[in-house]
Amino acid sequence: MNMGRLSKMGSEEAAMSDGACWELTEGVTAETVEGDGEFVLVRRAQAGDAAAFEALVRAYDRKVLSIILRMVGSADIARDLYQEAFLKVFRSLPRFRFQSSFSTWLYRVVMNVCLDQMRRQQSRNETAAPEEHGDYFDGLRDARPALDPARALESREIGQRLEQALASLNPRERAVFELRHYEGLKLRAIGEICGTTEETAKNCLFRATQKLRHALGDLG
Amino acid sequence: MNCEEVRHHLVLYLYDEAGPERRAALEAHLAGCGACRARLEDGRKFHRLLSERPTTEPSPELLAQCRRALNLAIEDELDKVTWRGLFRNFLSSLSALPGPRAAGVLTLLMLGFGLGWTLRREAAARRSLSPLGSSSPLKEADLAGFHIRGIRQVQRDPRTGGVKITVDAERRVTLTGSLDNPRIRAILVEAVKSYRNPGIRRDTLDALRNDDQNPAVRSALLYAMEHDPNVGVRLDALQSVRSMPWSPEVEQAVLRAVERDSNPGVRVEAVDVLARHANPKILPALRQLAATDRNPYVRFECAKAMRQLMADQP
Repeated sequence: MNMGRLSKMGSEEAAMSDGACWELTEGVTAETVEGDGEFVLVRRAQAGDAAAFEALVRAYDRKVLSIILRMVGSADIARDLYQEAFLKVFRSLPRFRFQSSFSTWLYRVVMNVCLDQMRRQQSRNETAAPEEHGDYFDGLRDARPALDPARALESREIGQRLEQALASLNPRERAVFELRHYEGLKLRAIGEICGTTEETAKNCLFRATQKLRHALGDLG
Repeated sequence: MNCEEVRHHLVLYLYDEAGPERRAALEAHLAGCGACRARLEDGRKFHRLLSERPTTEPSPELLAQCRRALNLAIEDELDKVTWRGLFRNFLSSLSALPGPRAAGVLTLLMLGFGLGWTLRREAAARRSLSPLGSSSPLKEADLAGFHIRGIRQVQRDPRTGGVKITVDAERRVTLTGSLDNPRIRAILVEAVKSYRNPGIRRDTLDALRNDDQNPAVRSALLYAMEHDPNVGVRLDALQSVRSMPWSPEVEQAVLRAVERDSNPGVRVEAVDVLARHANPKILPALRQLAATDRNPYVRFECAKAMRQLMADQP
């Protein structure tokens, strides 16, 4: 899938336009390199063209599902949140006025859905570690080359420790950290997606990193 | 900048978010402070550790389940939206009318609704008395699995007193079988080339991906890469072509995609595929594109591929 270009983008490409790495790679998928393709699709979807809406979903849904999986750590919950997010987009699309890019707006909806879920989980004190869920890794495809068994085990253990540490962050810190560290978005874009300022996003990133270091210090 | 400030800003520096001035100040300090350099190295190690987390590309099964569930949910939504939308449109058109005229429209509507409701109840009462109502030959099982899309005709039969309804109905059928089965393969090849739903075309490409030794499948994948109207499907087809056995036929098709595709993302991917096969014969075509393509990123990628190809030459 072309979403994979996000990880393939090197510094050369990113340097082409300051801070545009994310937009450029997303654009490759959704025809926004020149801007018109996605605009036309959104307009058509707003006019009720089901095929255009489906094309928009298909352009982004793998990435969206990947983000949701990272955030909630359970394939079952991710399935529900995927549907909730895209249904919200479907219902609200007629009111979308292009005040931001479609992708920013979409990711804002996705993050709101994830944050609501995480807050619900936290308030019910149900944030279970992934090994208790058992389905986090089931929902993933490990795209790395095959590892030797000992290394794979070690890597899995580190992965589980990481999941536990990430689960200890508050929802907003978690969101900012996931989007910056794993999705490679710039803090300015993250601020826009999370409905806050770049400065607040910076503070969240700082606090999240401190907490993770504290939790994982023995691994470093 | 002192050590305490450096410690505070190191996170942003590691994420390349420090900004040019702060970055310069940090680097100046780091150049002369061994303790802070050690802290920076420690931070880099921690970054690498965080990146040990498994890649979260969702499995194809999970993605397919999500897509199916979303399709069903949207179908339900559309059924609801139709009535809601009609009502909303009606209200907005009503608000545009002058007061007395709007009141007149509302009165007529209420009269019509009242009349219809009365007749409906009477008709229902009559139906419940008719023999058909109690002894319909139609059984529940007859309609199981059918989705009625519309009613064509309703006729009373004066001889029997029954009624004949002509409907447009669909029944969902699941076919299972190996890709070696010619019928299964023929359905998939046809779906890739002409099915109207782009999501299904992409799922079909996924299913066919491993059968690219078959000439009909290969031809369908190349067709989708060049001609599918949906850019996402063309990109997926290109991914399949990437792993195909390389041949002059494949090379020509990818070259045509580079030269003719309207989407710059597809052109970039196609250049990448060509460059991987390192055939110096494509250099003139790349040179031409590097000079003339209307998208700067495509020109950049072409130039990069050319440099790579030329460096690989003995």
